[in-house]
Amino acid sequence: MKTARVIYEESGHKWIALVRDPNRPEYLIDTNEYMVIDGDDAILLDPGGNEIFPAVFSALSAEFDPRKINKLFASHQDPDVISSLSLWLEFNPQIKCHISWLWTSFVPHFGGNQDTFIPIPDGGADLMVGGQRLQTIPAHYLHSSGNFHVYDPKAKILFSGDVGAALLPPGDESLFVEDFDRHIRHAEGFHRRWMGSERAKRDWCNRVSQLDIQMMCPQHGSIYRGEQVRRFIDWFAQLEVGLVKG
Amino acid sequence: MAAVVTQDTGRELRRIVRINEEIKSVVATAFKINLMAMNAIFLAKRAGQTALGFGVLSNELRRFAMDLQKQMTALREMTYGSVATVTALVKQARLNRVLERARKESSGLGRSIIDEFMRSRHGQAYARHREQIAALNRRLSQMIADTAQLVELGSVLARSAKIEAAYGGPFSTSLMQVSSDFERTIGEIQRSLESLTKQQD
Repeated sequence: MKTARVIYEESGHKWIALVRDPNRPEYLIDTNEYMVIDGDDAILLDPGGNEIFPAVFSALSAEFDPRKINKLFASHQDPDVISSLSLWLEFNPQIKCHISWLWTSFVPHFGGNQDTFIPIPDGGADLMVGGQRLQTIPAHYLHSSGNFHVYDPKAKILFSGDVGAALLPPGDESLFVEDFDRHIRHAEGFHRRWMGSERAKRDWCNRVSQLDIQMMCPQHGSIYRGEQVRRFIDWFAQLEVGLVKG
Repeated sequence: MAAVVTQDTGRELRRIVRINEEIKSVVATAFKINLMAMNAIFLAKRAGQTALGFGVLSNELRRFAMDLQKQMTALREMTYGSVATVTALVKQARLNRVLERARKESSGLGRSIIDEFMRSRHGQAYARHREQIAALNRRLSQMIADTAQLVELGSVLARSAKIEAAYGGPFSTSLMQVSSDFERTIGEIQRSLESLTKQQD
């Protein structure tokens, strides 16, 4: 079972990271899911794949009534991001999934219908959770051609999908990055191969540099905090991407 | 339970595939009969007065071939419907499996939500799909039986054509050859239908 870890909480506004499932089979990539709660409302960011639904559902239930989840956000179309959609729809057929307009006719292959998806235009859109406005930040071609991240101006947290992801060795369970230099070695090959566009990378670095970010939460690996966020952006800006061999 | 369901649905899908293959073979044979009947009509015309009866029967055989093709198209549509239902059942079985795991991993609120969910909507959906498959199978059996009757008529027509061929004068040998071909080809269809009936048992 995954663990639900509260990474931010202030006046009814909360971020929960659902992380590290010790029972996860090795052939499945490890993923982090995040839930943003504001009062009685919540959104699940990158709800994960079908196979890890039990672990996500059980960890999430410990913190929040899963029947109240009426919004999902999918950074892009990958199966480890959103293939559990049909299971969430079983519990709440009215659930809405916010995703790039590019994928609204592809992702229904995982579940849902014309009423399920709320397309996000290329320039991004706001997402309301309770009384809090979250911003979707364009991250196209990093790695998916229709890709968004989520920024929470109140918590100063950026959910960065595959950007910042690290494929940690077995046994490395740390929720937060402890040693940046050591950690980034596990991110390098991934970013060189999966991030396909230099231009998109530069655009993203410029865009997020203008945000006040205290925590950067990727879909795989550990969370960057404080100064590590700036270090990551600088590291990524100078990294040569779109290479078959890291 | 989920494993048993998956096994059942897997067997059901393989059965549908076998039925479809048999249908394809009957459709191809019906097309062959249609062409044979057209040739027989021309032959009867050339034979003239002596093959009038044979000509009538050839027309009837052609109509039979077209009816058979229509019947097989309906059968194929029905098996497509079965595929959709079995697929829904496979999906349901997969869902059951994941939910069962979620139930085991959860406690407190999560567990009670899943318990409640599985008791209500889930069990009903599974039972509904099983009933749909049973109903489709009953309709499929009925349609195969109807087709068998139609083919029996074709068989009678082929035998009558053989008798008529005997009165074909100088064309008798050619007409006999054509009517024997009809009889043999319709025999192939009868064997295919017997096989289809066995798939249903």
